[in-house]
Amino acid sequence: MKNVILSAFAAAALISVSACKEPADPGVDFAINFKATYDSSQLEKNKPYNFDATQIVVQRYRLYLSDIALVKDTTVVPVTDVVYLDFTPDQAASDLSKTPRIVFSGIPAGEYDGIRIGFGVNAANNAKQPSDFPAGTPLANELDYWLGWRSYIFTVLDGRMDSDKDGDMDLPYSYHCGSDPVYRVFTFNQHIHVEEGHPELNIEFDIRKLLLNDNGTYYDILANNATSNLVTDTRVAEDISSHYDTATTIKQ
Amino acid sequence: MKKVLHIRNFGLLLLGAIAFFQCQDGNTPITPDEGDLTDIPYNPKPYAVPKPAHFPEVPFPADNPFTVDGIALGRRLFYDPILSADSTMSCSGCHLPQGSFTDNYAVSVGIDGIAGKRSSMSLLNIAYANNGLFWDGRSKTLEEQALLPVEDPIELHTTWANVIEKLRKHPTYPEYFRKAFGIANKGEITKELAAKAIAQFERILISSGTSKFDQFINGNIDALDEEELDGKLMFFDEGAAYNLPDGQCFHCHGGITLTGNQFFNNGIDSVASLDDFRDKGLGGVTGNRFHNGKFRTPTLRNIAFSAPYMHDGRFQTLEECVAQYADNGFGVENEDIFIGQMGFPLGNGKYSGLNAYQQRALVKFLHALTDTVAINNPDFQNPFK
Ligand code: HEC
Ligand code: HEC
Repeated sequence: MKNVILSAFAAAALISVSACKEPADPGVDFAINFKATYDSSQLEKNKPYNFDATQIVVQRYRLYLSDIALVKDTTVVPVTDVVYLDFTPDQAASDLSKTPRIVFSGIPAGEYDGIRIGFGVNAANNAKQPSDFPAGTPLANELDYWLGWRSYIFTVLDGRMDSDKDGDMDLPYSYHCGSDPVYRVFTFNQHIHVEEGHPELNIEFDIRKLLLNDNGTYYDILANNATSNLVTDTRVAEDISSHYDTATTIKQ
Repeated sequence: MKKVLHIRNFGLLLLGAIAFFQCQDGNTPITPDEGDLTDIPYNPKPYAVPKPAHFPEVPFPADNPFTVDGIALGRRLFYDPILSADSTMSCSGCHLPQGSFTDNYAVSVGIDGIAGKRSSMSLLNIAYANNGLFWDGRSKTLEEQALLPVEDPIELHTTWANVIEKLRKHPTYPEYFRKAFGIANKGEITKELAAKAIAQFERILISSGTSKFDQFINGNIDALDEEELDGKLMFFDEGAAYNLPDGQCFHCHGGITLTGNQFFNNGIDSVASLDDFRDKGLGGVTGNRFHNGKFRTPTLRNIAFSAPYMHDGRFQTLEECVAQYADNGFGVENEDIFIGQMGFPLGNGKYSGLNAYQQRALVKFLHALTDTVAINNPDFQNPFK
């Protein structure tokens, strides 16, 4: 009997100790505005853009991002494990691309030096498939999963090009980048201030830059007008994905 | 004093109640007394919709969870001609199980013999539709959609007020509504509750997961013969290593239900300009000219049962559908880029198209999607038979 009472006492003491522990930082709401651009102007579907000796139109642009985190020195503060961005939903009455705004809650207020972004779906999630996730969540999306690679399609960028600038958009291009070797993680140095009510963060992806080589020359979209379906041939998909480093702009 | 107040309040309440019931859609008001249903027990039993293990959970809206009695009521309403003006036609008149919930007409014909301009659509796996309903996406939810056929002049052509009156006076429906939704009085039967019940029933129309294709993806590699397998490889663009061209089909007919629910111009109309489509499809809803001639991708599960094909039933056979795709479309401005990419790349940005064998293999694969277990599922059939 005594023991029971004692242990009850101990338990109560324990509870009160843990209750006294400093409460975890509840954090604040932190909003990110995502935008797709072409040469820094908001992307428009079906609008001819000059690209090298050709013109191109963009018809679809969709993107997965994973493990977005704020960084400060050696500290990494996770913001979200995955977001799915459809800049060109097919039912939108306007051709102007969408500018999704996502609010992440519980982010510790403070000053940060940069943001880390995984372009695509990280390997752990990419080992699963849409039916493993609850309906309506980003990874339940079957549209951007391809059984052929057993992978999500990280980036979908489709459209047409006018190969000889005669006014006829004669050739298709389609970049569907997926599978683990195509996943890229980049850290962008940028002072980011997180505080309730403070200006929101803007992240922009520029399609023109996505199609430029690292040295600023034009990617040969005629010779490489599509990603390969061979799981072993990820060359074009890796080319495109690796350009996110220069194609992404962070502003606050 | 207190007592007086009490009585007065009660009187007010009664008045209010009478006024309330008079305001419902039916013509003759049902007095609270004669319409009382509270003697009938209301014990809603949740229902877990059976689905194949490799299908995602069946989604439903928070305000319309599945119950055994809700589904039973919805099933009756779906098959009951009480929903039409002359009691000759029900939803099932155009959505029959043996047609994979279509009517096998090119375009549907309503109770007055007037033909619509569109072909009936399969309801198999409709619970997973997440991007609008109808060929043009104009309806958002099954609950919203179920309200429309009743008053559509080329479908059931009556009014909900008439239907509700018939349901309230019916010998058994009030009891079914009580059991499904806990209403206390016949006067509480509404079109919204009827639509909720129908939607619950529609959401249980899920594949059995026993088609040859399902057996194959569940690991039985012998389930598909060589031609069906070639068809599958082309359908999913997986044939490069086997010298098979891309069919591009999965880009649009993707995911487990073989529809991404997106809207496309799939290259079946040779029009001079985007203004010339006979049926504007999505463009008629959004007003965006570039959306003209785009339609919501239909499911290909059980496609062998739902001929004729396309939004206007223009093709009688699957062979005709595949032959249309094999030629890489007409090059209309808003044709989807995948339509121009059927076959092997020829190096100049053009594609070879699909030859006779490749077309045959694709058709054979479409037949491997046949799921007779689903269309014969006893829970899906007419409850009045
Ligand atoms: C006269 C024939 C007819 C009747 C009766 C009818 N339908 Fe339909 N149904 C159609 C046609 C035709 C379409 C496609 C119409 C369109 O896209 O404009 C359709 C489409 C649908 C869809 C959309 C499916 C999808 O994939 O988007 C649903 C759901 C549906 N019907 C349910 C019902 C219900 C419930 C009833 C009874 C209340 C009913 N239908 C009565 C002919 C009919
Ligand atoms: C660009 C998207 C797209 C591609 C690629 C595509 N389809 Fe379709 N498919 C559609 C759309 C949209 C419809 C409905 C069009 C309409 O009714 O006007 C459709 C209709 C069909 C139909 C008729 C379905 C019905 O219920 O009437 C069949 C069969 C079909 N497709 C098979 C295929 C096959 C096989 C392939 C590959 C060779 C393929 N599709 C490639 C979008 C596509």
